[in-house]
Amino acid sequence: MQREEGSRLVAVSGMGAVCGLGWGVDALWEGLRAGRSGIGPFHRFDHSRHRTHLAAEVPESPGPPADLARSLPGWRRLSIADRFALFAAREAVERAGLAFPLEADEAVGVFFGSSTGGMFESELFFADFLRDRRGRLSALASQQVNGPGDAVARHLGVTGPVETLSSACASGALALGAALQAVRAGEVEIAIAGGSDSLCQLTYAGFNALRSVDEVPCRPFRPGRAGMSFGEGAAVLVLEPLERVLARGAEPLAVLAGAGASCDAHHMTAPDPSGAGAAAALADASLPADAIDFVNVHGTGTPLNDAAEWKALQEVFGRRAAEIPLVATKALVGHLLGCSGSLEAVATILCLRHGELHPAPGTDELADPELVDPELVDPDLTTALVVDAPLPFPGARAAVSTSLAFGGSNAALVFSRWEGSPWTDRTA
Amino acid sequence: MSEVTTPVRIKRLIVESLNLEGMRPEMIEDEAPLFGEGLGLDSVDALELVVALEKEFGIKIKSQEIGREVFSSVSTLSQFIEGRT
Repeated sequence: MQREEGSRLVAVSGMGAVCGLGWGVDALWEGLRAGRSGIGPFHRFDHSRHRTHLAAEVPESPGPPADLARSLPGWRRLSIADRFALFAAREAVERAGLAFPLEADEAVGVFFGSSTGGMFESELFFADFLRDRRGRLSALASQQVNGPGDAVARHLGVTGPVETLSSACASGALALGAALQAVRAGEVEIAIAGGSDSLCQLTYAGFNALRSVDEVPCRPFRPGRAGMSFGEGAAVLVLEPLERVLARGAEPLAVLAGAGASCDAHHMTAPDPSGAGAAAALADASLPADAIDFVNVHGTGTPLNDAAEWKALQEVFGRRAAEIPLVATKALVGHLLGCSGSLEAVATILCLRHGELHPAPGTDELADPELVDPELVDPDLTTALVVDAPLPFPGARAAVSTSLAFGGSNAALVFSRWEGSPWTDRTA
Repeated sequence: MSEVTTPVRIKRLIVESLNLEGMRPEMIEDEAPLFGEGLGLDSVDALELVVALEKEFGIKIKSQEIGREVFSSVSTLSQFIEGRT
């Protein structure tokens, strides 16, 4: 992807999020900034027979605003992932200063990512069915992977294109990329873009079977890392042409300067990224790698992912790879799978806006040496990972957020800070 | 021991099988429409209710036309069940 000369600059005008750190963008930033991990014991389903027992589960209390369910007809038919999506979408739309539901005559589209949609509810159905040959049919009412995006469109009154992307853990970032293209092309004037996924047994069992899950909260880019931690939630961004946001007197939160994607064409689960996704995103943003001030890494904490991502960072940033600050959001909220790219986009924008980079917890429990493959956990992985305390960075103007997925799908997004003028123009 | 009437059994079944949050059996009126206005059930509820009623009362709804008539309220359901048992 390469942005056409003179094509519209696209601003982020609203954001909403829910994750293990709580409901709302304020709760997210408060937790991120404090380096507070949302990963801990969880109760959504019985995990006693799995090999690990942690996740960043969305807290029930304080929960979503009580009026959310009342204001949305059909709430009881919605999956947990749908509900997360609706909460985040409403927060994003309200933050953007748009009416909820949206005006019927606006050209609006929904671009959503999800890995499992209503999988958790489908599992309940089959558990009941296998036990006594009778399941609750309503558990299947919103089982589809497009459930969260469709629910958002239905409740916002969106009549333009409504698309769900499901490319494993790159879905949330790819959805934002699709939304960016649609706004640039003038296909829509407002894009509601993001992702949603809830904890479910299929992914919990699957990643555990792959031995990709750490027994302690995940430690991305740390020497002792031994796997990921699960998270859940939703994140939604409102994208509009920058000019439109300014014309209606709203404040752009950031500029989505570019998006890029690539595939390793290598393996079903093992990564082998060359950095092509991030390079494509930089080209799309018309920015050189030197213009990037920090990276919000995919950083799952698996030995394989982080080693491969480190190689990709070296490809893109050269010698600077060891010095450029890395932000590892998954260390605090876990891996939100099809939503991770969207939630990390919100985290990246928050870091740019606040002029400080959120930390990962600094403690580093060493894994059992017998479980650590020295080939994978490279001892020379010396990055400038932000740990312990937030890193003040008021001068940070642009950042890249990466997503690396099963299937070798890679996606990267470039955000630049809004400084009263479109900074990206000056460097293009 | 007083026998539980058919309308009460139906109301209990509606609340239990449809997982209606915040709803108690005694809140359902005998003559209130089950779908659309009134109780506000939808087509997924209808499917679940048919299965639950067939199991509980051993009835069989043979056609959509009969179903539409029978499922209009607790009262019509009750009449249908009692006429069959």
